[in-house]
Amino acid sequence: MWKFILRRFLVMIPQLFLLSVIVFALAKQMPGDALTGVSMDPRISPERLYELREKAGLNDPWYEQYRRWISGIAQGDFGKSYTHKIPVSEVIAERIWNTVFLALITLILTYLLAIPMGIASGRFNDTWIDKVVTGYNYLGFATPIFIFALIMLFVFGFSLGWFPTGGSVDSKVDAGTFAYYLSKLHHVILPALSTALIATVGTVQYLRNEIIDNKYKDYARTARSKGIPETQIYTRHIFRNSLLPIAAFLGYEITGLVGGTVIIETIFSYPGVGQLFVSSIGLRDFSVVTAIVMMLGFATLLGTLLSDIILSVVDPRIRIE
Amino acid sequence: MVLLKIDDLKVHYPIRGGVFKTISDYIRAVDGVSFELKEGETYGLVGESGSGKSTIGKAILKLINMTSGRIVFNGQDLSKFSFGQMKPFRQDIQMIFQDPYSSLNPRKRVADIIAEPLRNYQCLTVGEEKKCVQNYLDKVGLNPDSMYKYPHEFSGGQRQRIGIARALTLKPKLIIADEPVSALDVSVQAQVLNFLQDLQKEFKLTYLFIGHDLGVIRHMCDKIGVMYRGRLVEEGISEEIYENPQHIYTKRLIAAIPELNPERRAQKTELRKKIAKEYEQLYPEYFDEHGRAYDLKSISNTHRVAMP
Amino acid sequence: MKADAVKNVQLADRSPSGIKIIWQEIKKDRLALGSFYFLLIFLASVYIASFMIDQKAIARVDIFSIYLMPSDAHLLGTDYAGRDILGQLIFGTSNSFTISLCITILTALMGLCAGLIAGYFGGIVDNVIMRVIDFIMSLPSTMMIIVFVTVVPKFTVTNFIFIMSIFLWTGKARLIRSKTLAERELEYVQASQTLGTPHWKIILYHILPNISSVIIVNFTLNLAGNIGLETALTFLGFGLPESTPSLGTLISYARNPDVLENKWWIWLPAAAIILVLMLSINFIGHALKRSADARQRRG
Ligand SMILES: Nc1ncnc2c1ncn2[C@@H]1O[C@H](COP(=O)(O)OP(=O)(O)OP(=O)(O)O)[C@@H](O)[C@H]1O
Ligand SMILES: [Mg+2]
Repeated sequence: MWKFILRRFLVMIPQLFLLSVIVFALAKQMPGDALTGVSMDPRISPERLYELREKAGLNDPWYEQYRRWISGIAQGDFGKSYTHKIPVSEVIAERIWNTVFLALITLILTYLLAIPMGIASGRFNDTWIDKVVTGYNYLGFATPIFIFALIMLFVFGFSLGWFPTGGSVDSKVDAGTFAYYLSKLHHVILPALSTALIATVGTVQYLRNEIIDNKYKDYARTARSKGIPETQIYTRHIFRNSLLPIAAFLGYEITGLVGGTVIIETIFSYPGVGQLFVSSIGLRDFSVVTAIVMMLGFATLLGTLLSDIILSVVDPRIRIE
Repeated sequence: MVLLKIDDLKVHYPIRGGVFKTISDYIRAVDGVSFELKEGETYGLVGESGSGKSTIGKAILKLINMTSGRIVFNGQDLSKFSFGQMKPFRQDIQMIFQDPYSSLNPRKRVADIIAEPLRNYQCLTVGEEKKCVQNYLDKVGLNPDSMYKYPHEFSGGQRQRIGIARALTLKPKLIIADEPVSALDVSVQAQVLNFLQDLQKEFKLTYLFIGHDLGVIRHMCDKIGVMYRGRLVEEGISEEIYENPQHIYTKRLIAAIPELNPERRAQKTELRKKIAKEYEQLYPEYFDEHGRAYDLKSISNTHRVAMP
Repeated sequence: MKADAVKNVQLADRSPSGIKIIWQEIKKDRLALGSFYFLLIFLASVYIASFMIDQKAIARVDIFSIYLMPSDAHLLGTDYAGRDILGQLIFGTSNSFTISLCITILTALMGLCAGLIAGYFGGIVDNVIMRVIDFIMSLPSTMMIIVFVTVVPKFTVTNFIFIMSIFLWTGKARLIRSKTLAERELEYVQASQTLGTPHWKIILYHILPNISSVIIVNFTLNLAGNIGLETALTFLGFGLPESTPSLGTLISYARNPDVLENKWWIWLPAAAIILVLMLSINFIGHALKRSADARQRRG
């Protein structure tokens, strides 16, 4: 088992390296570099420009540039944002907590929705409650998040006015007060709920199947034949066995959220990393784009790693592969 | 005339372990096996499950890559050839598989199953092909009209006959029969076995017959090789093996054959107990310190035993 | 002569072909059957209409009829440039569906090649292919697609299809590989090998038909998913280029809060079409999935 975890970590090293090479190659492809702004300036002669480029190392071979770039990243130096005129790391730092907060609330809501629904429809399968949940699953499976989020925004944000339609906090409240945190929560609920209502579907389905499977397993039958009350069989045995794998999917769930943030934050004008990503592409601020891709790519790798490891602990079968 | 000669055949599977999945050891599925098949005879391979019988059969047909050794068929060294280069020789060596359920593609009609080898090697017209398929269906005792049915419409015994018909279409010289009856009911077993013997006479076939049922093997085979953990422990003509077993493992196998006569049953149980005890005691004499059988030594013209 | 033989064999083959089996499965499920007829009629009318309407007329800017409410002249109103929404819906639907179909076909082909080869041959080939798949799957695909779309020198529909496909074939390949692996263990594959059938024939004519139901289910569900993904990317502004309007283009107007709040006729119909398309394709896919699962259980 430790061998598996160690090996899984070792696999991540080449993955991380490849990711960085790809991101670097993409960054090189993107129009403009650190001196694009300067080169537009008519007062600077081409000779002087060449000198500047030489000094900035932009004429070095790519692997030399890559080495410098990656060692910078290792120290948290992502270069400078040319629209914000401050280091990229600071631009991102401003937003990252908003994204983390949104992701956290989304995850909590996803599980809060999934567990009761999955348990109810698994335990009482083929009753009306199961039919309702299954019907909901069908709808959720077929609905793209961006459309659902738009409708949610339209209904609860604009028409009913229950929730704010943009931003992450009310600008009128002072930072640090209780009202401030309350307002933050108020801003995050609608985007988080929109994602959770859709994202929960996979987990509900999995949990339902898992419970139905376990229900007819030998250990449950034995317990039943011993006269142990049904409720106890569920709370003591079946739920424990079915919920463990769900916990393991946490990492994959995070991976999925990373993709979703781009869309959700854009729709709700929520100032997080995803929205920053989209707007930076629009503004051609590619040092920010590169940094975000690198960072979220790393997060995705970590998410997969996390789930692989938890799963291998919960379910020894997959370790073989 | 020697049709097939197997010389020091080894099939080893690496066991990988550790963080870097390096090779830490080998599973020695077949570990230095040599024997010969004469034309027209039936050679039986017996041994417990996992002793490497199927692996030998599959290695001959290149379904499994062998680690080392030589396989000489009709004077040609097959071990040099790649999977593709084997194609001309596959006409002469065919296989009957253990499981009549998974050895027929469920999506193909019987006609397509039996004609598959014909389409690979011969260019027949539709009529010729149809006639050929019907001919072989008839030979294996199935209604020629059943050629448009699917495998699931047949019983296990009938399916095995389809498998046999498929192996016969190319008129092979050697047929490797990997437990051809072990998946069938006892009542059907005898029927299929007799039928295989009839075919042998009609087509002058040589069989490499793999099995673990000693009764069946005795019924079928002229010569028998007993396998244990990837090695031959004893080889001889049937009488020698059954009446005069030399190796302690063979003795135990023979003693394990169920006795049908009720009066002699008690006697048999007694014998079994005796041999089991003997086995415990004499084990170190017959196997080296790694539990590996010794090389075969001739004790008569036809009889070879693994002794130190 | 050989071809003749093959033809004759097919004539004699009265067994239901793949398409017939699919049709029988769909017919059993009322919801799936309804969805099928609906899709057929809906898509047929959209494609026919898109041939009959002049695309240039729809794309023409008309500053005198900006943001018109639905009326007789414009059944579904007009957008910020006075263009007819209904016309854009028709082109958007046909574009979105066609492109998603292309992506699904392309990824299916890629997944089939990689999955069948990896599963059948195993060993080093399998290892290499699986490492590549693992790596692509561990990338944040939405972001990668967006970055590729912005970086690619000349952004065309073909490029878009290729970029999407690079990131979407992996799941399929993995599924097909695992099914091939299971199928390969069955003795009929080894039997074919001893009968002198070459590897490629075994893969195409023996293994592929036996895993086709899984592939079809996956294809259907992916088609629905790809419609969602394509429109979402276009919605963000990184999908189909301007010259090729998609359903996502219409919805992207709703990124302007005024349109979202007050001019529902611009974005809501497109959203509804996406929903209905995805739902009905999913209904068909799930019906097929249920029957495939049941068949697998029956053996
Ligand atoms: N792919 C493989 N990897 C590792 N070990 C294998 C592999 N295939 C077979 N073996 C091992 O090789 C040994 C011989 O297997 P084989 O199938 O030849 O046995 P057998 O004598 O035919 O048994 P049975 O009577 O059950 O069919 C077994 O111990 C098995 O565990
Ligand atoms: Mg075997």
